[in-house]
Amino acid sequence: MISAQKLTKKFGNILALDAVSFDIAPGEFVFLTGPSGSGKTTVLRLIMRDLKPDAGKLVLFGPAKIHEYRRTIGTVFQDFKLLLDRNVYENTALPLEIMGAAAVDIDKAVKKALELMGLTARTDLFPAQLSGGELQRAALARAIVARPKLILADEPTGNLDPKTARAIVNLLTTLHSQLQTTIIMATHNADIVNHLDRRVISLDAGKVIKDTPKGKYD
Amino acid sequence: MIKHLPLAWQRIRRSPYQALAAVSIMTMSLFLGSVFFLLAAGSQAVLTYFETRPQVNAFFKSDLVPTPQAVDLIKTNLQATNLVADVKYISKEEALKLYKELNKSDPLLLEAVTANMLPASIEVSAKNPADLKPIAELLKVQPDIDDVRFAEDIVSQLAKWTSSVRLIGFSLVGSHLIITFIIILLIISIKVANRRDEIVLHELLGATSGYISTPFVWEGIIYGVTGAFIAWGVSYLILLYSTPFLAGFLAGIPILPVSLWFMFSLLGGELLLGAVIGAVGGFLAVRRFLKV
Repeated sequence: MISAQKLTKKFGNILALDAVSFDIAPGEFVFLTGPSGSGKTTVLRLIMRDLKPDAGKLVLFGPAKIHEYRRTIGTVFQDFKLLLDRNVYENTALPLEIMGAAAVDIDKAVKKALELMGLTARTDLFPAQLSGGELQRAALARAIVARPKLILADEPTGNLDPKTARAIVNLLTTLHSQLQTTIIMATHNADIVNHLDRRVISLDAGKVIKDTPKGKYD
Repeated sequence: MIKHLPLAWQRIRRSPYQALAAVSIMTMSLFLGSVFFLLAAGSQAVLTYFETRPQVNAFFKSDLVPTPQAVDLIKTNLQATNLVADVKYISKEEALKLYKELNKSDPLLLEAVTANMLPASIEVSAKNPADLKPIAELLKVQPDIDDVRFAEDIVSQLAKWTSSVRLIGFSLVGSHLIITFIIILLIISIKVANRRDEIVLHELLGATSGYISTPFVWEGIIYGVTGAFIAWGVSYLILLYSTPFLAGFLAGIPILPVSLWFMFSLLGGELLLGAVIGAVGGFLAVRRFLKV
């Protein structure tokens, strides 16, 4: 599904990724771990085709056109990126609106996603009226609403209390098991990584230092 | 494309002062455009009117009744130049009729005048006012012609005025439209910059550049069309209000009242111009921020 070979990315003089290689098969659940600045977000942005590698090769599934490719991905951003002037329902509906889905289909899919995320009672609220956990769940609802083949989650549990963080990850694992969605989750939440016992790609200073099928957080 | 219209309208409602500024400048420019267009069209109509009037009058000797052969000879000579649009012979009797018509309000001037006292003449219209002089020169050397008069100065002055109105109007309206375009670009750019995060998110979620830019293009079109409609309405009201005065001033020149068809054509042109300026301004404003 994704094959990265010796990916290198620089931002000015800073080497963000240094010859990073990995393969991810369809339906895998992979943690990207490592300290801040280790290159996790850069990997996700390269997969999202928000950046181009300076060197190396990245083979991705899906259509060649960027906008069509991105419609096959659901992304949970580190900073949520929820639109402040749209309510939870409208934010969740956004990917389907962009795809040009019919209003009836949008309504059905949005209600289902919000129900799955436990946000049915928050449908009409705006982001400023939500708690941190609810914001995160709204972002996740938007990421799954179009049934993507791949979910990229960048620190989806950052700044959340342990209980809420665990609930978010449970939602992701449910999606993974029910829909066979490929999930790549960047995190430095050791508890979650150690609890789930999944594949872990560890990065440090832009290099892959470990890639273990059932890894732990180092 | 039409589905983005409500979003554009919503954005306009949420920033009414920016919208007011955009519509005002658009109205101002297109109003100026209307005024100069009407002036140019009016002066062109006046010029055409004068151009189609007899422009050269050649008078026979007043004691002479020209023979048909003499008149035909002059007509043939004139038409051989290929500069002439129309030639008309005015006999002494016809001259008297015209004289009476012109002076019907003054019986004293009519009393002692007979057809024999008035000269027969030839009225000539040129295809091009610039050819009046050679025509007049040719008439002067024709047999039995006593005097030649032509309105060279009036027509050439009028032509100069018309081209000046066009030039000044074009320069003024053109420069104003450029300023309007820049202001529309600026206003929509501010809005786009305010929505930069939203644009980035749309791109990351798979929106095409068309999907992102269309609401901004619509916004520009709404500014342009609104401004055009107001500008047209104001200029039409002013024209209707001043028609009685202008009609008196342009007595005998049948260009007023201006036809509805003409005014609706002007409205169509202005709507199109406003919409194009707004659309291009909106598109260029958002294009700078697009990555996909």
